[in-house]
Order: sequence, then C-alpha cells, then structure tokens
Amino acid sequence: MMEKLFDEYRGLSDKKIRPNEPKSEQFLKAFKELLDKKNNWAFLLPFKLSLEACTHCGTCAEACPVYIGSGREKIYSPVYRADMLRRIYKKYFTLSGRIFGRLVGAKEITERDVNALAEAAYRCTICRRCALACPFGLDNGLIMREARKILAELGIVPDELKEEGVENQITYGSAPKIPYEALMNILDFVKSEIEENRKNVNIEVPVDKVGAKYLIINNAGDYLSFLDTIRGIVEIMNYVNEDWTFNSQNTGVFDNVNYGLFYSDKDMIRVIRAHLETFKKLKPEYVVVGECGHAYDVLGHLMKDLIPAEERPFKVIHIVELYDKFLREGKLKLDKDKNSAPVTFHDSCKIGRCGGIYDEPRRLIAASCRDFREMYPNREYNYCCGGGGGFALMSKYNFLDFRMKTYGKLKVQQIKDTGASTLITICANCKRQFLDMVSYYNLNTTVSGLSEIIANALVY
Amino acid sequence: MPYVEFKGQKLEVDEDGFLQEPEKWSPEVAEFFAKHFEGIEKLTEEHWKVINYLREYWLKYGVAPPIRMLVKQTGFSLQKIYELFPSGPAKGACKVAGLPKPTGCV
Repeated sequence: MMEKLFDEYRGLSDKKIRPNEPKSEQFLKAFKELLDKKNNWAFLLPFKLSLEACTHCGTCAEACPVYIGSGREKIYSPVYRADMLRRIYKKYFTLSGRIFGRLVGAKEITERDVNALAEAAYRCTICRRCALACPFGLDNGLIMREARKILAELGIVPDELKEEGVENQITYGSAPKIPYEALMNILDFVKSEIEENRKNVNIEVPVDKVGAKYLIINNAGDYLSFLDTIRGIVEIMNYVNEDWTFNSQNTGVFDNVNYGLFYSDKDMIRVIRAHLETFKKLKPEYVVVGECGHAYDVLGHLMKDLIPAEERPFKVIHIVELYDKFLREGKLKLDKDKNSAPVTFHDSCKIGRCGGIYDEPRRLIAASCRDFREMYPNREYNYCCGGGGGFALMSKYNFLDFRMKTYGKLKVQQIKDTGASTLITICANCKRQFLDMVSYYNLNTTVSGLSEIIANALVY
Repeated sequence: MPYVEFKGQKLEVDEDGFLQEPEKWSPEVAEFFAKHFEGIEKLTEEHWKVINYLREYWLKYGVAPPIRMLVKQTGFSLQKIYELFPSGPAKGACKVAGLPKPTGCV
C-alpha cells in the first residue's frame, strides 16, 4: 500500500510524485514563474485575484460536489484545497505575508505540503461551480488548475493525461492511437449497421475531405467506446444531406481532446497548434466539435484568446449547436414516440457553465423524446459528474473509489430522483464517468449521447 | 516496472496489470492472467471466443475493436461480457487477451 499523502485515496503513482525527493525549492521557482505575465498569458489576473481576495466566508463549500458528496469533509472544500497554495503564495510572494506570516495566513512551504498538493490538485475537477457561488467572483477551481501547472513543471502529471494522452495524440493523431486502417474498418461497420437498420438508405462517410462545409472532429474515444454516438452523427449528417467530413490520422490530429487544458498551458498550446495544422489542411468552413466538453472549451473559447483571428479562418461550434440549427431550419423530421422511455439530461460543466449551451440540447430532446425530465439542480447549477478535469481517464489504485464515493454518490441520487431510465449527455468524459457509476452502483440506467437519440427519432 | 511471475519467468506489466511485452502472451498466460487479475478459475469456450476475437482484431488493426463491434461479432451482450470478465471488456478482457492498455477517453 502506498503512503498517505493527502487523504485515503491515491490517483498518482509514487514514481510520479517521488514523495521522498525534496521538491519545494523547484516548486517555488515554478510558482514564481507562473506569476509572471510572460509565462502565464491566459489566467494571471483571475489567478492573482483569487489568491489575494478570498475572505474565507465558506460560501463556495456548499457549492462543491466533492465537499457535499463526501459528507461535508473539510479537506474537500474548495477553500481548503486552494489555501494549500494560497498560504505559500502569501509567504513568498506578498509583502504582508513575508512580514506578518501566519497572522495573514502565510506559511512556510514543507516537502509534505508539496506531496499533499500533488494529490489534492487531483481532488477537484475544476468544474467551477464554486466560482459561480463566490460573492466576490473568485475562482478556487482555477487555483487548482494553476497548482497542477506548477506540479507539471516538476514532472508530476498523471500518465493518463500526458504520456498516454497529449503525447499519443500529437504522435499518432489520437490519444487511443487508432491507425487509419482501423478507423476505416470501424466506419465501414458503422455504415453497414445503419444500412441494415434503415433499409433503402445509402450511407456515405466522407473522411479527410478538403474544403467541406463541416469538419466534424470527434473525441476519438467515441470510435472505440461510444460508437453509437458516431453512428448517430453519420446518420444525421446523411439525413440532412450536408457537405461534411470526418478526418483521420492522414490529415494530422483527428481527436478533438486537449488534455493540456487539465495540467499545462504549454501542452495545451502544443495540441492547439497540432489542431490548427490539421484544420489548415482540411480548410473547413466550420470546425464542429463532436460530443465532448473540454474540447469545446479549448477550441470554442480559449483558442480565441490565445490565437490571432487570421490563424483560425473557420468558425467553431459544438455539434449540438449544429443539430439545433438543422432543427430550426426544419431539416430534421423527428418522431418523439421512437424514444418513449423517460430521459434526463446532464449539463456538462464545459458545455453548460463554462460554455453557455443550455437550450440547444433541450430543444433537441424535446423534439425527439416523449418524456423528458429535468434533474435538479440543472443548467449552470448542475453538479459535475466527477469525470471532469481528466478524472474520467484516471482509475489507478483506488481513484475510482474516490470518483464514485464523492461526485458519483451525489450524482446517482440526482439521477434516481428523476425516475428516468436513460441519461443523455454530450461529453465523452461524462459518459465514461456515468458508465463507471452504472457498474459501481448497479444502476439500471442507460447512458447515451444525444446524436443516437436524435438519429433514432428520424422519420424517413 | 512491476511484474508478475509465471512458470519461473517474469512478465512485465504496467501499473494497471497490462502485459508490456505482447510477444510473451500465450494461451497459458491468458489462463494465468484470468485467474490472477479477474478471479476466473477456468477459461471457458465463451471466454475464448471473446479473447480470440480481441486478439485477432488487434493483430490485424493495431487497436482493440470498438465495444459495439465486439458485442456484434461474438453475439454476446455487454452484460454477458461483464459476466465473463468482471472488470469489463477493456480492463478485463483486453488484459487477459494480452492487449496493451486502452488509452484516451475510452
């Protein structure tokens, strides 16, 4: 059994954290660099304000799904986690902290603090529900993200996100390393499945088509684990008869994910650059982000702050916005009775609270399902499923237990209260977390993307 | 790198128990992994149907097949696959079949 560093859980290996190796000096150096505009071009101001202005009023605690789900354990409150970094900030980077020390909440760094932070930074999915609740608009979630960035400079990053994620994606075009032949085989299978199901329908699956109006870039995990979503996309795009394409390894990156978002601006930019290279070759009018949350956050929002407009001559939309457009244009004829079982919808943090998309999925569900039931809370107040911030990929040691017993526990109750038998969500990380929940808690819930729900309701 | 001992030889596995050197896989290794990681006493014909399909697909295409394809080609429901391999198709069946750990959002 591994050493306890923060709580009873471990998500990162000793090999990564190296608990017995002194790291505090390096930590302070990386922290200092992060407080410089040159190295922190995206979030410096909100980061500093969030470090400085917190009054410890505790409002954020009641907003945090880990805190509530854990049975209100103090160590899981946003302010407790953020203070682990805030104390160090005050001690080393503020005048009052240097002079008055503990009186103003400053504390000298210890090796133990660094080890504890290495795990604590991975107890928060950065869902930012706490930021919504803060009377001052401070973002304790952002502080955890910045803590991960410091840790990444020390080499402390889960393999699932960096080596097996970002590095795979840049080298092989997708994090799951799907070769071209495999992708073609999978898409052939999708085509034949739809044609078997819908007699007399001829399905085409364009790949790497240059200059298509819509380039749909999926979370590549969908090709392996959530193929029904891919099938739904293909059927809908054929039904509306639009000019569209998927892409493959042959044109660069065909995985919309950007795990750099979860731990490092530097790696985030590397992935953005690889995406831009790919889009440059394919010249789409629209880049359509498939059913994924964090990819939409990066491509749809953050990229606009980081990359000059002339380097991104295309529009970025989430696929649910595209479907909604088709619906409003009368291009989708849907029969609600095809989906008669009660369904509920989970607002993904990156699409809802961080992305502002709430009505589009609801309009589509209302048009394709007989019995829609809201879960409570919902929209911007919805609880994170617990798969965010990279967690859906992490299940080493007893980390799955953490995901299930905190976030998962809260979420299961929320779903059960709706009485719905199908849970719809438009993010692959959420789907993974929900599927893990279904098996962990033995639920009778079907987890589904929205694409397959719409496709199932299509009237020919 | 962690390892498991099997018939006097050391088999390298990653932190999640996936075999690191695919060429060291054999049906005997599968039997051993099934018992060691999945608590399966004896692999049945149904287990082998899943293992063989996974292995053949992986050798041909370099990646594990989509779960939906596995279900269709073996004729087993996902529930049935979970009954056969309690940790599921990826963490259970793929591991026994000697495939590398699936990566990304899978």
